[in-house]
Amino acid sequence: MSQHDRTHHAKIATGKGDPQCFKGTADGPPKFKVGDRVRIKHLPDIFYTRCQVYTRGAVGEVAVVTHESPAPEDESFGHVDHSEWFYIVRFKQRDLWPEYPEAFANDTLQTEFSERWLEAA
Amino acid sequence: MAHDHDHNAPAPMVEEVSDFEALEIAVRELAIEKGLFSAEDHRRFTEFAEHIGPTPAARMVAKAWLDPEYKKHCLTDAIAASKAVGVDWLNPTGFGTPSDYTDLRVLEDTPTMHHVVVCTLCSCYPRPILGFQPEWYRTPNYRRRLVRWPRQVLAEFGLSLPAEVEIRVEDSNQKCRFIVMPVRPAGTEGWTEDQLTEIVTRDCLIGVALPKPGVTSNIPLPVHRAAKPAHH
Repeated sequence: MSQHDRTHHAKIATGKGDPQCFKGTADGPPKFKVGDRVRIKHLPDIFYTRCQVYTRGAVGEVAVVTHESPAPEDESFGHVDHSEWFYIVRFKQRDLWPEYPEAFANDTLQTEFSERWLEAA
Repeated sequence: MAHDHDHNAPAPMVEEVSDFEALEIAVRELAIEKGLFSAEDHRRFTEFAEHIGPTPAARMVAKAWLDPEYKKHCLTDAIAASKAVGVDWLNPTGFGTPSDYTDLRVLEDTPTMHHVVVCTLCSCYPRPILGFQPEWYRTPNYRRRLVRWPRQVLAEFGLSLPAEVEIRVEDSNQKCRFIVMPVRPAGTEGWTEDQLTEIVTRDCLIGVALPKPGVTSNIPLPVHRAAKPAHH
């Protein structure tokens, strides 16, 4: 990466914004749709990730298919050639935290994942 | 020489500068030397960025309360809807203002569901429309506790919600940014957009408070007389 162009992001994002500048760059259509049940995979994250440990292994429901973008695990090292679909996933709090009180069983939490972290549940 | 410093020495009369601040200054000075921008450009942009406040987002909510069509626009394309309240996410940088991602989502509360926003990873926040984060939003305490004990943390902010109201925490961990659109409170019937804007404070837009008639960010605070005043 010694020849990395440090103005690359400005060149592609100016006038469009980010993540809009990555529209149409994923390999295909989104693999999951709103309402799909998904499990968060437990992948290695030795260098960088934005996938929180508290969600690993949990099952939730796709709430929004948000946009296409390189995954942070790649983008943080300047690899922006490959994009993925992103999803906001909704979890029941009781499925994330075993001690979450039953009195508040309706409470939920949403957070976002790139497609590599999700598998059908 | 760490081993022989005086443990009773007074605190140094200098500001502490973190590694990240030193790094920012170094990168900034190199960019200025290289001619990417001038010191004055940097000052102007800093002044611009630090002047952004939550008022445009408050107005967005007030407008949406009054106009169902605009509300629909906010919920489907909040970046475009921001223009109606004077915020163009692509200006002046061309790709996010200030250097933020440009995918805003509006989380609509209902009488039986309340949203609250956190970024557990750092402090992601819709700065172009809310300004800089409050200090507490960046603290590990808020970030790690809100996702797990949202009701307790909200209670510390003075917001206790009944069990029938679902609390939905939004952990803003990628490129989407979020603001909360609270339910329009009772007692605001017939209010103008300006009046409604005033009660949608920053904390209501993060979700740690609910708007109330008469409670605004610029309300005069009560002054309590000291119990034992000092006489000079």
